Amino acid sequence: MRATRLVWWLVLVVVGLFYLVPMLSMARFAFQRIPVIKLSLDNVFDRWTVEPLFDTFGDPNFRKAALLSVMLAVATAVATSVLLLPTMVVAHLRSSRARKLIEVSAVLPFVVPAIALVVGFAGAFRNTFPFLIRHPLGLVPLYVITALPFTHRTLENGLAALDLRTLVNASRSLGAGWVRTMVAVIAPNMRASIATASFLAFTVVLGEFTIASLLLKNTLPLYLAYAQGQSPQGAFAVGLVLVVISTVFVALSNRFARTVKT
Amino acid sequence: MIKRARHLAFAPYVAFLAVFLGWPAFYVFRSALAPISASRSPMLEAVTGQFRGSFVYSLQLSFVSAFLGLVLGAMVAIALVRLQHVRGLRNIVVGYSSVAANMGGIPLAFAFIAAFGMQGLATRLLREVNIDLIGWGFRISDFWGIVLVYLYFQIPLMTLVLVPALDGLRRTWHEAAQSLGASARQYWRMVALPILMPAIFGGFLLLVANAFAAYATAFALSSGSSRLVPVQIRFFLQGDTITGKTNLGYALAAWMVILTTALVIGFQLLSRRAERWRR
Repeated sequence: MRATRLVWWLVLVVVGLFYLVPMLSMARFAFQRIPVIKLSLDNVFDRWTVEPLFDTFGDPNFRKAALLSVMLAVATAVATSVLLLPTMVVAHLRSSRARKLIEVSAVLPFVVPAIALVVGFAGAFRNTFPFLIRHPLGLVPLYVITALPFTHRTLENGLAALDLRTLVNASRSLGAGWVRTMVAVIAPNMRASIATASFLAFTVVLGEFTIASLLLKNTLPLYLAYAQGQSPQGAFAVGLVLVVISTVFVALSNRFARTVKT
Repeated sequence: MIKRARHLAFAPYVAFLAVFLGWPAFYVFRSALAPISASRSPMLEAVTGQFRGSFVYSLQLSFVSAFLGLVLGAMVAIALVRLQHVRGLRNIVVGYSSVAANMGGIPLAFAFIAAFGMQGLATRLLREVNIDLIGWGFRISDFWGIVLVYLYFQIPLMTLVLVPALDGLRRTWHEAAQSLGASARQYWRMVALPILMPAIFGGFLLLVANAFAAYATAFALSSGSSRLVPVQIRFFLQGDTITGKTNLGYALAAWMVILTTALVIGFQLLSRRAERWRR
């Protein structure tokens, strides 16, 4: 019994190392100014510096890319809530069939890989709405679609935990219209879920490469791919920051998801 | 009047999906089905000519990484059940799994270059103990290198699929089997495994689809020169200058949609079956 337990511990340790080592290697490469060949037990603690990160922060191209990515992330999160929440509320009030249909439609983005979506998008809109392809904010609808399976799941859990019919009836009987009901009654009650969905949307947008790369928009991941050749240390440092940020976002959404359930 | 207004409430969402998901998908298939000349169809050319190799390569990569992800992810999930008395362990592992399962793109490629690249830290450490990866021909941009990188999100995804399934195994089933004289091995082979099978197989399909659609990581690892299908699509459609061949790019994309659709439908059907036991 004890021996088999040891085996399972070993499994966890090996997989844990596999999860940990790449991240630590990235951190070392980014923040220590010693090539790996010259690394030895004597100098593992020498020449650590956060300079590469700040050098990159000073790069105007980086700032432009970061600004664009943050803008896209916020726009995607807002567009997701504005588009999805009213639709899902109405579906919940109407019938479980409407709810199921929305649920199925929200999984559809899984069956169209990002690369197929973006080439179809570019082809379909090139002659009709070239504005959407040229303008950076044209990425927002595609990002809303890409994040849809995750954001829908979150909002669905939140709505299922609410006594929606009572809330809406109470609000309507006090004379509030639909818009007011959405903004003043449902949205505040859905705070945790909306926040979770937004975090997930941020994570998707900040990491997305395929779509931005084919539409030639210089978002953060594209900047990273480009900077890899120019100043690898800075690029890896920013890459690590992105990993930390998305880890925090996912951890936050896990936490919120738990508070919704209880 | 009111009824119609209620229908209208769905209009923005439906219109949004139709315009930004439906239309692009339709465009891909329409272009893919338009014949290049009287006798050649791009859909056929995409899987018979020189791109057959790309599909085989992409699918091999997806299946191998999904299979290894399945085995290792399952081992982690079982370890969590066996060690469930250790407080906090499960939260940490499941929590990090949900982070790692969503990892991908450029930062993940960077992390593996820093660890297992030519000048990687892990490469160096392994050489100290006489495991010479580079000497054995291992390259992070080759088949097995990409498999290794993909395992970073495949293993945790499988863990996340299997932990709830293992939770669904009731203690009473184990006791019932034991009281009928079953050995531990017999219980696993004849009771637990058949119940877990839909979850395992469904998870496997999900992992295949997951790897098949991935693009950014492989692109960054190989500096854009990979044989993977998504990278080939880019080659045909980015510049839009190679006349007559663009439809071939759309045909590759159409095949990708067909394959992932089949995989996702398979996953959905199996996970519905898997949930039957959990009520």
